[in-house]
Amino acid sequence: MRSLRCSAAPSIWAAWSPNLSPRLTALSLAQALFMGLLQGASELFPVSSLGHAVLVPSLLRWSFKQTDPSFVPFLVLLHLGTATALLVIYRHEWVAIIRGFFTAAVRGEMRTDSERLAMLLLVGTIPAATLGVFLENRIKSLFTSPYEAAAFLVVNGVLMLGFEQLRRRTERRAAVASESRDEQESHFAQAERISFRAAALVGACQALAFFPGISRSGITIGGGLIAGLRHQEAARFSFLLATPVILGAGIVEVPQLFANGVPVGEYLAAAVLSGVAAYASARFLLRYFRSGRLDPYGWYCIAAGLASLALLRFSL
Amino acid sequence: MAVGLGVLGVIFIVLAVLYALGVLQLFTSGPGNHYKHAILLVVLAVASFVAASFARPKTA
Repeated sequence: MRSLRCSAAPSIWAAWSPNLSPRLTALSLAQALFMGLLQGASELFPVSSLGHAVLVPSLLRWSFKQTDPSFVPFLVLLHLGTATALLVIYRHEWVAIIRGFFTAAVRGEMRTDSERLAMLLLVGTIPAATLGVFLENRIKSLFTSPYEAAAFLVVNGVLMLGFEQLRRRTERRAAVASESRDEQESHFAQAERISFRAAALVGACQALAFFPGISRSGITIGGGLIAGLRHQEAARFSFLLATPVILGAGIVEVPQLFANGVPVGEYLAAAVLSGVAAYASARFLLRYFRSGRLDPYGWYCIAAGLASLALLRFSL
Repeated sequence: MAVGLGVLGVIFIVLAVLYALGVLQLFTSGPGNHYKHAILLVVLAVASFVAASFARPKTA
């Protein structure tokens, strides 16, 4: 079996591993593809792909761990695969959003939904990007172990259930509880209609996903629900919001990644697999959230986090 | 308001250049050129200019 080897690369996640061992450990091709599949499948689900990426190598007792230098650049490419999948799914919307952005910026006025969505995405992207760039070193150096990832996975589950409780309270206030789920959903707004303050809050929520175990998509979908979006629209806004941040981080990091002589073919294969998995999961989730809720993912996160803590604690 | 936002945009551009050249080291991981910080500041500058465009008086 071929192995992936690489040297430490400066990265957006570099501060995640402050005590890197100078040794190089190997990630087999099968392990790389498995991680690509896991990352792509879990990135858009509200279950924290980063938490899973931290936990799985430890639980499976791979010699390759999350503190390994090669883990960081590897994740960069996997995320690019996810961003590419999102770009493919929303390609027509992105053309309209980019066109709307320039039109509204020059005119100084928003007249269409695409123009408003473009500005909402700009406002929503700024908080996480700013916090991510200026504070990432401090945040991530605090949280590197699988124990913390498992604990934050439990927290993520509680947050998902909390978001749904708040939504149910809003539904009760709107006296729509007796209606079917489809009818209930129609009472809530489209992404283009939320306020700019709500977009900034949803964007700021993204920064919480720096903690392994806290799901970026989960926290932004939850924020969208609180802002009054229907589930499917909250998921759509979350996916649109994710694309510039993930893509931007990838574009900045990838040249450094390849400059360090990593095995490009193997990394790309895992990234493609990640993109395919992300595409399938995005399609599934957009369909699921027509009438589905966050609760099952919340319960899954609590169960997975507690089980991981037990497995790690007792070395099962 | 529009002028203030425009000035803010220019300040962000200047800061972006300083980070890119490695002159500014605030909130960074160490010495060197900080292109990530520079790109973020360019985005903030664009946002400021857009906000300035929205805030400027419109002719009927």
